[in-house]
Amino acid sequence: MARHAPARNGWVVWLTFAIGLLLSVSPLPQFMEIFRPLWLALLLAFWALALPHKIGMVTAWMLGLAEDVLYGTLLGQNALILTLITFLVLSLQQRLRMFPMWQQCLVILVIFGLAQLVQLWLSALTGNRQPTLALVLPALVSALLWPWVSYGLRGLRLRLKIN
Amino acid sequence: MLVVLSVAVMVVDARFTLLKPVRSQMSLVLMQSYWIADLPERLYQGVASQFGSRTELAAENEKLKTENLLLQGRLQKLAALTEQNVRLRELLNSSALVNEKVEVAELIGMDPNPFTHRIIINKGERDGVVLGQPVLDARGLMGQVVELMPYTSRVLLLTDSTHSIPVQVNRNGLRAIASGTGNPERLELRHVADTADIKEGDLLVSSGLGQRFPAGYPVATVKEVIHDSGQPFAIVRAVPTAALNRSRYLLLVFSDGRSPEERAADAAQQQESLDRQAADPAAVPSTTVPSAAPAATPNKPVVPATVPKPAATGHNTSSAPAAAPAAAPASSTPAATPAKPAASKPPAHQPAKPAAPKPVAAPAATHEREE
Repeated sequence: MARHAPARNGWVVWLTFAIGLLLSVSPLPQFMEIFRPLWLALLLAFWALALPHKIGMVTAWMLGLAEDVLYGTLLGQNALILTLITFLVLSLQQRLRMFPMWQQCLVILVIFGLAQLVQLWLSALTGNRQPTLALVLPALVSALLWPWVSYGLRGLRLRLKIN
Repeated sequence: MLVVLSVAVMVVDARFTLLKPVRSQMSLVLMQSYWIADLPERLYQGVASQFGSRTELAAENEKLKTENLLLQGRLQKLAALTEQNVRLRELLNSSALVNEKVEVAELIGMDPNPFTHRIIINKGERDGVVLGQPVLDARGLMGQVVELMPYTSRVLLLTDSTHSIPVQVNRNGLRAIASGTGNPERLELRHVADTADIKEGDLLVSSGLGQRFPAGYPVATVKEVIHDSGQPFAIVRAVPTAALNRSRYLLLVFSDGRSPEERAADAAQQQESLDRQAADPAAVPSTTVPSAAPAATPNKPVVPATVPKPAATGHNTSSAPAAAPAAAPASSTPAATPAKPAASKPPAHQPAKPAAPKPVAAPAATHEREE
């Protein structure tokens, strides 16, 4: 819309990413651990849709590396997955923006589910295979959370005119 | 391109140690987020302890006191038992038990991946933590350090499905391997013969055979033993004694990183020096004994005060060594005072002789002080 407008309040984006990193390691009760949403992926998906000129795959890759360090996985594993998610979102971006919310949720579910399957594949390659397909549950939870994240961040974006 | 890059990075990270510094530098910043994520819990505890009522504190204090008393009581026995154990080991010529040093660490985060059992503690490379270091809590073994960061480290718990630990049954020394199952309340003993003497309630302690964990720490108690005729081995399930998902304060065990041979050699040397030390004090008392005997003789007259003869024989034997330190009494007056009442009894008929026992008693007293 305002291509000539100077970039402003960019720090808010990074603040949300920082909060996302915190949320992704925040302690949860034992039974809820397997439902932990993919916070970083959700935030990346939203910002990639909203500000595709600023948030791209490089950002996703860096955040993924950070997540790898936090999780103690192989460096690059989560980076690969977040890059994949961002790639899919960016390639569907034009259509995704037109979709009603419930369709967006479905698309998010598919994308995140795919990413989690790649995650499963990678961790099987590195030797610690998860025993169940419960791994796909976070994708489901994330898809259910998508409307709230989406509306919340959109409100924030309009309020602060993040560009 | 980023995909290729991340695959390359993954391979490099898996195969080489090239990226270790990068990871440790990044962790320096990022590990703070565990700390921050833990902050609400910490704050809550701080507030709770601030506003904890007086009666609660008093009750807790009471409880801790009784617990302390119980532990102290057990400790008294422990000293004697340790001593006995050392002596028995000497008799058997087996190597001495290594006394491990421990340091307290605090849990700062759980691994977010629900399928692995790993925790993050607030001690890292800069605190002297090493890879593979065993971690305990108050009740038993918890796991080992698998990843080092500058100020934090990651601990793999016993119950992780990729973890196994060599154990033995405390009751009879039967050896087995306890593997994690991915369930925080369960370990499984692998390849235990159907006829093995193991039953419900047995305590499993670490056997130290893997040379990673120190021997003798409690690991788990056997919960059930299932004999299935269709299976080649008995199914043995055990519950870890450590509160793996509840402990907040952990103990890092610093045992020396020497090889067993070096350790044995060192232990032998230590034993030798100990023997020598034991021999030296033995030499010292041998010199003091003759002087102590006359020192004791002044006490004797308390009983045979009516019979001056034993006192006199004492003076006679002591008069020879007492010839030289005649000048000593001036400096040894405080030491000699206890001898005086005893010495003052014989002087009734021989005032010259008490001078002889005095200097002898003084060196004996000083000897005892030096020791």
